[in-house]
Amino acid sequence: MNDQDRRRRRALIAVQIFAYGFLLAMFLIQLHMYSVRDW
Amino acid sequence: MKLSTFQLRRGAAAPAKSADAYDEHHDQSKRAQREADWWLTAGTLLMGTLVLGVVGLPIFLRGVWLQRRAQESGLSVRPIIVTLIGYLVILDAALNSLGWALDLIANHTLINRVIITAWGNFFDAGYFWHYNELWIGGAGAPGEKGWEVALMLTVFPMRIAAAIAFLQMKRWGHQWMIVTCWFGLVIWIGYTFNMTMYADVRYDGVVLPVIGWWLYDIFYITPFLAIPYLHTVNREIFSD
Repeated sequence: MNDQDRRRRRALIAVQIFAYGFLLAMFLIQLHMYSVRDW
Repeated sequence: MKLSTFQLRRGAAAPAKSADAYDEHHDQSKRAQREADWWLTAGTLLMGTLVLGVVGLPIFLRGVWLQRRAQESGLSVRPIIVTLIGYLVILDAALNSLGWALDLIANHTLINRVIITAWGNFFDAGYFWHYNELWIGGAGAPGEKGWEVALMLTVFPMRIAAAIAFLQMKRWGHQWMIVTCWFGLVIWIGYTFNMTMYADVRYDGVVLPVIGWWLYDIFYITPFLAIPYLHTVNREIFSD
């Protein structure tokens, strides 16, 4: 694996962590609201 | 379709095959691919109707099995991963378009008023709250119609077109799959944030708040799963 591939792979991992982290954050915010509001 | 992944014959030193043998291999591959595609397309179309999804799945799986069998017998057919990504992208875009087109255009039909509002009552009051009361009927949740119009008129058709070309192993198909998969990231970050922002509207009074929506929609939140593959695959297998 050359250097460019390694950098590309690292960037893709970072993007995925960001994307799934964001979705998880939205889910957790909604769960928190669910627990404090009377839905 | 141009041939993409040649299974290199073992023992390259063997005497060169005649043109006839090559033609025969080419024809066999084409026939096998066509047969698999017939089942895959029929299955995807059925699943794309939502209600016939249960019927479509086994038909689709038979197509995958045929594709795999052709690949294992050494024919030059499309790789399985390209097949799966391509058809699933078509299915995802078709399902989203169908549901939202019903809400945008057919919002006064009986079936829509029953099914979509029942769904709204269960998971997401965005499809219940002030339903059919705004200047365009259907969902009245803040932001929802904006997403419907924007995505149905841009990303979803682009995505279906890109996926068809991707399945044909064309280079522009690969390129536009990358573009629209990144769109998928934008869609879900925007949509889920909008939803969280107006969570008080969308979850108030529903049967299964939060958990129900996420369980139902987690399957839709997949368009960017293919991004790592699309960026690391050998792009030479896609031809002009």
